[in-house]
Amino acid sequence: MMMQMVLRRIGIGFATLIVVSIIVFLATSILPGDVAQIILGQSATPETLAALRAELGMDQPGYVRYFSWLGDMMSGDLGISKAGGATIASLIGGRLGNTMMMAGWVALISIPISIALGLWAAMHPGTWLDRIVTFGTLSLISVPEFFIATILVLILAVQLHWLPSTAYMTGEESFLELMRALAMPLITLVIVVSAQMIRMTRAGILNVMNSPYIEMAILKGVPRGRIILRHAFFNAIGPIINVIALNLAYLVSGVVIVETIFAYPGLAKLMIDGVQTRDLPLVQACAMIFCGTYVILILLADVGSIVSNPRLRNPK
Amino acid sequence: MKDKFSPKSTPGEVKYSDLSAYDKALVEKAVRNGYSRRDVMKLMAVTGVSLAAAQNLLSTGSEAIAQTPKKGGSVRMASNLHGPDDQLDPPLFTSTIDYTRGRATYNSLVQHANDLTPQPELAETIEPNADATEWTLKLRKGVEWHDGTPFTADDVIYSMNRHMGEDSTSVIKSVLESIQEWKKVDSHEVKAVLNTPNADLPTLLGLFQTKIVKNGTTGDGIGTGPFTMESFEPGVKSVHKRNENYWREGANLDAIEITAITDEVARVNALIAGDMQMVTQIDPKAFRQVESAENVTLLSTPAALQMGICVLKNTEPGSNDDFVKGMQYIQDRERIVKKILKGKGSVGNDTPISSAHGPDFCSELPQREFDLDKAKFHFEKSGVKSAELFVAPVTSGVPDMCLLAQANAAKIGFDLQLKKVPTDGYWGAVWMNEPLNVVTWNMRPTAQSQMAIQFGPGAAWNDTYWNNERMGELLSSVLGELDPAKRHAMMCEMQTLIHEGSGMVIPAFSNINDGIANNVMGMPTVPLGQLGGNEWPEFIWLA
Amino acid sequence: MTEEIIKTKEEEVIAKLDTFDELPDAPPKRRIKLSWVGKLSVAVVAFWLLIVVIGPYIAPFHEMDMDGDDSFLNAHSNEYGTFFLGTDYLGRDTLSRIMFGARNTIGISLLATLFAYLMGITLGILAAVKGGWIDMGISRINDAILALPTIMLGLIVIAALGSSIPILIGTAAVIYATSVFRIARALGQDIMVQDFVEAAKARGEGVWWIIKSEVLPNAAMPLATDFGLRLVFVVLFISSLSFLGLGVQPPASDWGSMVRENLQGLTYGSYAAIWPALAIATFTIAINLIVDDISAKSGGMLAKKMV
Repeated sequence: MMMQMVLRRIGIGFATLIVVSIIVFLATSILPGDVAQIILGQSATPETLAALRAELGMDQPGYVRYFSWLGDMMSGDLGISKAGGATIASLIGGRLGNTMMMAGWVALISIPISIALGLWAAMHPGTWLDRIVTFGTLSLISVPEFFIATILVLILAVQLHWLPSTAYMTGEESFLELMRALAMPLITLVIVVSAQMIRMTRAGILNVMNSPYIEMAILKGVPRGRIILRHAFFNAIGPIINVIALNLAYLVSGVVIVETIFAYPGLAKLMIDGVQTRDLPLVQACAMIFCGTYVILILLADVGSIVSNPRLRNPK
Repeated sequence: MKDKFSPKSTPGEVKYSDLSAYDKALVEKAVRNGYSRRDVMKLMAVTGVSLAAAQNLLSTGSEAIAQTPKKGGSVRMASNLHGPDDQLDPPLFTSTIDYTRGRATYNSLVQHANDLTPQPELAETIEPNADATEWTLKLRKGVEWHDGTPFTADDVIYSMNRHMGEDSTSVIKSVLESIQEWKKVDSHEVKAVLNTPNADLPTLLGLFQTKIVKNGTTGDGIGTGPFTMESFEPGVKSVHKRNENYWREGANLDAIEITAITDEVARVNALIAGDMQMVTQIDPKAFRQVESAENVTLLSTPAALQMGICVLKNTEPGSNDDFVKGMQYIQDRERIVKKILKGKGSVGNDTPISSAHGPDFCSELPQREFDLDKAKFHFEKSGVKSAELFVAPVTSGVPDMCLLAQANAAKIGFDLQLKKVPTDGYWGAVWMNEPLNVVTWNMRPTAQSQMAIQFGPGAAWNDTYWNNERMGELLSSVLGELDPAKRHAMMCEMQTLIHEGSGMVIPAFSNINDGIANNVMGMPTVPLGQLGGNEWPEFIWLA
Repeated sequence: MTEEIIKTKEEEVIAKLDTFDELPDAPPKRRIKLSWVGKLSVAVVAFWLLIVVIGPYIAPFHEMDMDGDDSFLNAHSNEYGTFFLGTDYLGRDTLSRIMFGARNTIGISLLATLFAYLMGITLGILAAVKGGWIDMGISRINDAILALPTIMLGLIVIAALGSSIPILIGTAAVIYATSVFRIARALGQDIMVQDFVEAAKARGEGVWWIIKSEVLPNAAMPLATDFGLRLVFVVLFISSLSFLGLGVQPPASDWGSMVRENLQGLTYGSYAAIWPALAIATFTIAINLIVDDISAKSGGMLAKKMV
């Protein structure tokens, strides 16, 4: 039963990937200018444009390029970046590692913090501490990311000189040096995603607290802390896992602002660069990775909620 | 009078070497920014320095700064743009980061000095024949590629041929059009055969894209330059180590790392926090921040970096001369320089030539002033009531200049709409296509090439579609004119033609504004690009 | 006009609440009574909606006037008037620009969210009711858009079509309709299998009647609580577009762009970036606190809706 469901989800995931590739292909083809024009920029002349287009194999019709790309993709060949001539695998390789490393560290730090703070706030609803947590997290999700990031840089790097202002990696640093280099973007992202997750954890638990069986437990005189830890938390875990999954997907694909401000070579910025240089194979490859990550994370979250919820585990 | 400020000190008594470290930094800053004695006095008001003492400080300070370069150390440089399209192949260079990597890795035949005179580099001599249609280049002997093979005429012929022919994708193909053929004379001598006389050929051979690569390669990082390529990741960074086998004296630095920080606020913060030693493109908004930081210097090099509005002459509304005049008179030029460029720039006179071009600048051409009455008159006469101007941040200050024009136009009831568009795709889809758009051009080494590229009749980048026959005649005849007075007269006539007739609105020229750490010494000041025309890798050193 | 929309929306919510209460498994009847925090938040939102309407008429300067003595000054007066919140990077009055900008930030996000709801609910319920291939087709396209980074979608659409206000609204609406679609579809499916819908089907009622009389009223409350959060996301989305240099056309400005273009002033003690950031924060926090308050009082179904 569950196996069947998982297989069904995987099939849906594949269908979504195909739709993504078509959407990205269509969307990038309506953009003004092509990669040849972008490469040559202000210096383009009709002759050099024609020569460069021929060299890049762009004189073929769109659908031919799409299917040849799809074919290559299926056989594991990501192709060559139109803009720079490097293989896309080499462009993506290091950056995928960087993105995963950042996402991993942020998740490692922010998930425990968020669940702990969310639980704690839910245990003491309506108190001043709860209000501070609520208001603080709300304030943090309500101002633009670039504002938070810049303020942090101004304080921690420019004024106090505690941390470097950019995530510049030489590739030869020790673990501690690496952590120092990554500290600023890490702190920024932990703040941004924790704020979201704390709110959702708290809301999820308070939501469960309203259900009849918890009211029953309260009436029986079970201490509130124990109710939350023993009963409410496990019933609220489904929505919490979902929020975590969405935030992880965001950490992989949506952190372009943080990557830009801290000059961190990650995938999100690469994809934006790909759009800006009209480098279609590169955009497609990144889109596939993002979409694949999203599909997998949502799948894991679904399985997680099913496993954690007895009612879903044994459907009627 | 000169002793009024500090009667006790004898002129010339205060020496640079006597100053505190903080005051030294101030003087250094003053020397670099070309401050006058009065500026130094103001700067050091606390110490109470007289005019003469200030002069003394400036000269001893300059000496101290110009002392013998030290070897060793490394710098990190952050440009403003990079991406997966970063190149090591010179004919496709389009951005500062490419130019800088090119400068570190390769050599050109010719190099530009600070005053823009061409200097020999890989070519030891460049001799024209009598009518400048054939140039003979003697190449330097004993130069080796980074892989140890010798540099010969074949490398030059190969590299230069890549800018020519049907299937060439070189960015400067049309600039080098006058070259018909490259001929090998012997292993270290080549000839360039031109189809029209061109006295400026040496200058063209020093362009960023004319770097010489090894025969048969397409820019894989093997050059003859002062640094060898250690690593290169497009859109991330590159690392370069000193070439110990360099044919000149060699670089002072052990290593350089070249990257980019695209966010302008982050770039300046990285400089001030000390994470980067050199950054390009400081926005006028950040001048005060950089100038007030103690550890860094704002390098502001006057350059004919135009902030232009192209009004296309081949279509409505630009085909109407009065409309163009209206657009020119609503520009509050003084205010653009003072408020938007914070003084780091100069007023433009709707021609691409500025005083940075030296004697070829026509200073006698009357300056067009900000005049709303005249603007109103011309707009009314043209019958045009509104227009749409496409704006992209092609260089800092341009969008703000357009906002000011819009506010001024509103005062006389003219509706100037701004259409903000992203920079990507701008050069292909908007520039030379939309009736009103913004433009910027890096300064070209000569006034003639600057005007020819934009205003030559039928030129590939004639971006206002203004084709004037007389302009064409002058552009070609000025190249053969050797008498300075006559040459200046011709230059002036061309600038007057552009000023009066073209569709170009150039209210101001921006300086090139970069930031460097105070211990970076020996910066060149070539005004052709960021950070001393990107010439710095071979020459700078750390104090 | 926007005020009316909000008002009708609120009335609708309250009206739906009442019908909700009549249902068999409805929670015990409760009226929406806001806490003092909620009341304060309503006042803040009302204040900003008022500014949206009258802001441009009472602003001391026009948003394009560069009349300040210099850029990045704090409060000062000159012959043109008083700059209560100082000037921005071009010497424009920050207070006036916030008043003008309210129309863009709040107007765009409100309209975009409304359209996102219209689209998301229509398609979501259509998918739930019709099922089969229609459901499959819409759901896959929806998932694909959801899986792609929003900022990239925004970048592509705006680079292709230009950044006019209708396009900004349309783009944000499509992007955020995807989440609404998921909620609406899930709720629709839940409701479709309920006994009272089965009964209606058995009675031979048409699909439209079922949607109108059974599905919509039951889905209204959860969707309403989601509305506020969606609105905040749109405000932030528009701000992040300004980071990439896209956004509303000059001289008009939205609060996010104002923060962005004045960030550099922070280093010399200018508050030009702080004021618009505060404007964004007060508006979005107030909306969220109202949402919190309502959902806390009405059975706290917030978390489920977020996913």
